[in-house]
Amino acid sequence: MYEVRFHGRGGQGAVMAAQALAEAAVIEGRHAQAFPYFGAERRGAPVMAFARIDDRKISIKSQVYEPDLLVVLDESLLDIEPVARGLKKDGKAVINTRKLPTEIDLGVEVECATVPATSIAMEFLKAPIVNTAILGAVVRMCDLVSMESMQQAIANRFGEKFGETAAKANAAAAAAAHAQAAIGRCKGRRPLAQKKEWLPAWNEIPIGTTLDERIVDGVTVGPGGARQNLTGSWRVQTPRYDKEKCVRCQRCWFSCPEGCIKREEDEYVRWDLNYCKGCGICAQVCPVKAIDMIKGGSR
Amino acid sequence: MKVMVISADHAVAYAAKLARTEVVPSFPITPQTLIVEQLAEFINDGELDADFIPADSEHSVMSMAVGASAGGVRVFTATSSQGLALMHEMLYAVPQSRLPIVMANVNRSLGAASGIWVEYNDSMAERDSGWLQVYVEDNQEALDATLMAFRLAEDRRVLLPVMVCLDGFILSHTVERVDLPEQEEVDRFLPKFVPYNMLDPSDPKLMNPIVPPEYAMEMRYQLDRAVEHSREVIAEVDELFAREFGRSYGGLIDTYRLEDAEYAMLTLGTATGLARQVVDELRSEGKKAGLIKLRFMRPFPFKELCAACRDLKALGVFDRSASFNGGGPVYTEVAAALCNVPTTVTGHVAGIGGRDITPEHMREMYDIVEKASRGEKVRPVTWHGLRGDME
Amino acid sequence: MSEMRTIKDMPVNDMFVSGHGACAGCGMAVAVKNIMRILGADTTVYVPASCLVVISAMYPTSNFRTPYLFTAFENTGAVTTGIRAAQRRRGLSSTVVGLAGDGGTFDIGLQALSGAAERNEDILYVCLDNEGYMNTGIQRSGATPFGAWTTTTPVGTKVEGKREFKKDIMAIIAAHDPPYAASLSIAHFNDFIKKVEKAKAKKGFRFLHVMTPCVPGWRSDPSMTVEIARMAVETGMWTLYEIEDGEARTTYKPQTMLPVTDYLKLQGRFRHMENGDVAKLQEWLCAKWYLHYGNDMEQPVCATFEKMKRVRHPHEEQLHFI
Repeated sequence: MYEVRFHGRGGQGAVMAAQALAEAAVIEGRHAQAFPYFGAERRGAPVMAFARIDDRKISIKSQVYEPDLLVVLDESLLDIEPVARGLKKDGKAVINTRKLPTEIDLGVEVECATVPATSIAMEFLKAPIVNTAILGAVVRMCDLVSMESMQQAIANRFGEKFGETAAKANAAAAAAAHAQAAIGRCKGRRPLAQKKEWLPAWNEIPIGTTLDERIVDGVTVGPGGARQNLTGSWRVQTPRYDKEKCVRCQRCWFSCPEGCIKREEDEYVRWDLNYCKGCGICAQVCPVKAIDMIKGGSR
Repeated sequence: MKVMVISADHAVAYAAKLARTEVVPSFPITPQTLIVEQLAEFINDGELDADFIPADSEHSVMSMAVGASAGGVRVFTATSSQGLALMHEMLYAVPQSRLPIVMANVNRSLGAASGIWVEYNDSMAERDSGWLQVYVEDNQEALDATLMAFRLAEDRRVLLPVMVCLDGFILSHTVERVDLPEQEEVDRFLPKFVPYNMLDPSDPKLMNPIVPPEYAMEMRYQLDRAVEHSREVIAEVDELFAREFGRSYGGLIDTYRLEDAEYAMLTLGTATGLARQVVDELRSEGKKAGLIKLRFMRPFPFKELCAACRDLKALGVFDRSASFNGGGPVYTEVAAALCNVPTTVTGHVAGIGGRDITPEHMREMYDIVEKASRGEKVRPVTWHGLRGDME
Repeated sequence: MSEMRTIKDMPVNDMFVSGHGACAGCGMAVAVKNIMRILGADTTVYVPASCLVVISAMYPTSNFRTPYLFTAFENTGAVTTGIRAAQRRRGLSSTVVGLAGDGGTFDIGLQALSGAAERNEDILYVCLDNEGYMNTGIQRSGATPFGAWTTTTPVGTKVEGKREFKKDIMAIIAAHDPPYAASLSIAHFNDFIKKVEKAKAKKGFRFLHVMTPCVPGWRSDPSMTVEIARMAVETGMWTLYEIEDGEARTTYKPQTMLPVTDYLKLQGRFRHMENGDVAKLQEWLCAKWYLHYGNDMEQPVCATFEKMKRVRHPHEEQLHFI
């Protein structure tokens, strides 16, 4: 049995990619399944999806913990979670990035394909929906399914939802990614530390599904404890502030959904980028264009 | 102590008043209405200092009860049948939130084929909600069980809601002699309410958020243990109550002439009183018949039943509701509890939809159990008073 | 406490902290964050099933620094009633606020809401209106506007989008004659602040209706959330008013009504709408416009719907909008 884990962000189409891969395998007469990690994630939040392929009917429904193939739809995820955890030593990886495999530190040294899926998606689909493009690189990387089956699967799944034109564009994006993928070995230096979690035994949980604010096992819990979620990692564009132009109207402060704009004593503002999701509302509401959005999630 | 001649509904209302209930959300439903009407009177006459909240539905009643209990006060309410069913969603919020709400459920059949008469299919449907459930036999027990329910619910080892179940009309609208305890006695028995978890901005608490798989299982097991540990508290509260008021109910179960019995019935609710009388008749005929009164359906008295039935050759289980194609819910659970005891267990469904249960019906049940005790083949489950032959 | 007139008067202390899981550009987060800033620490929050509970209260943490409770979907009016009764008995003066979505208010929660309003419970009920069941993945609610695509009003070959007009929840609330009810927009900052502050100060049942654009549900650009809310007011898709002790008052009146297409074009959920449906929506809007703002001023976009001026809303008298 061949097991695949997809990592992406809510809205990037990780689930659709997993489903298309499974369908491609079924087209070739094999058995396959695909399913999301059932969470409550919103657009931009890190998400997972899984796929399994086998020659026999697959009866297991558990999540995939030791994948043979890892597909990363968003390079920035490497910095915020241990995406390669459990990846088999002889496993493979496909990553959406402009870099070459040798420039990528996945945390496990494996055979790796890199592909600039975002720019391919922008070219063919006019939107940063990378799930189809990356599937072209998956075909290139592994002997799982043929390109023909994959394109058929993409046409089936995407055509049904978005129409024939969209299906053709998606299939073309996959073909381009297949051609552009770079193959090599990535680095395995990055430590794959697990996120700190409070996992109490049943008799350690305060009774009544109730918590006050406290720190347990190094984790802040209770009211206000969610501030440890550094949602700035979702960001794909970053506000740039021109203090000279600022008229201190505080509209950006009021309009920021994250509360990551802070009012200084002198009524100028600053951003706590740990939380900024890069929505761009601040730039839009600024009456004097003192804020603009620049590409990328860096500081 | 004051002697009164009142209905069980009124007895329950008196208990809620004596318990110094602080918030009473309510919605009328027959045959529960006498309870909330009486409480409204107490409050409007200044005899009880409480907030009476007339809700828009039973769902809202239980929602208000949750809000008020989480807000840190003693809450009582009452319902019946369709009302309990409408509360279903909110019932589940209470045990896991560990809110010690006390509610009387005046048993009434749940439709379709519904009327306003007694059947236990309303409360039996909620037996896996995490609420403790006690079924009472007469008006005095309705009052006493309600008082004990507060003490039990609020015990720090328990912190669970308690549902006091009483037969619609047969108890709710029947007047009987009831000894009404004095307020000072009740105040000694039931201390002032001290909330465990509370919504108070001076000490902010997060209550009942979405619980992901990483925590839900541990929480459920914690609840499972709390229900289990309530068994010992029920016994303690029964003793405490006996010391203060001179009446004891035996805790989870009670027995009648069981010591040398060869066969017995297990009953709950008002059928118990009838069974006592039939046992006396059978004994006078020289038959070794006995009786087990099931008081608590939750926690279920697995151990106590095994101990009580050790020397019984056969036990008949009375049900006032059906689980369909398998007898009633009490029968199913008793049979499971006694799976390692060599007692033959038979099921007896009667009194459905308020059909009167006569001494003849009860005698018929005992006769079947007696046959089973002699090793004769009998039906596993019998519906008594049914027109037409059973299949 | 001095009266808050502008953003600069607002407390800077966040009671709804950063780190929530809402989509980038979430209009609901903008509203909740600012409402909680104004309500302050002496507040108890109830949230029914909604996006808000999922993005802000996942065991073992929450974004609310105040006491917080969640139980179910349809009971905001009832649970807040219970909390307030208990807190009053315990001598607490905390503001008890229910933060519900439009589904939890217009549809499934309407009964409990009406009960609380009718009993004039001392609670603040906030309806965060993103015009659909967005938490479950963008389904139609009674608040979804005419023509809009949702997953349960898909754009099919026979029927395109929602066929019914948005329910007038404010008129329903007004019929209960509450001490205070107001509609708010996250794009009208000072108006927003004044209304939340007024609602906080009043006793009895208070209702705030806030339009909260939803990026995935409205298929809009995350940066345009506040602009869409602003355009809603300029086109009449949203009206800003308050009802205080039985008197209704418009708090902001656009000079000239912009064509509804200016609003529709900012959102993918209306992209499929053809001329017939757009005209139908515009006609409905013109009636609403004259109801709220009177017909003393000619609105060129309504020129083809002159008869609308004479249409009287059944609740017009009650709303004191004559």
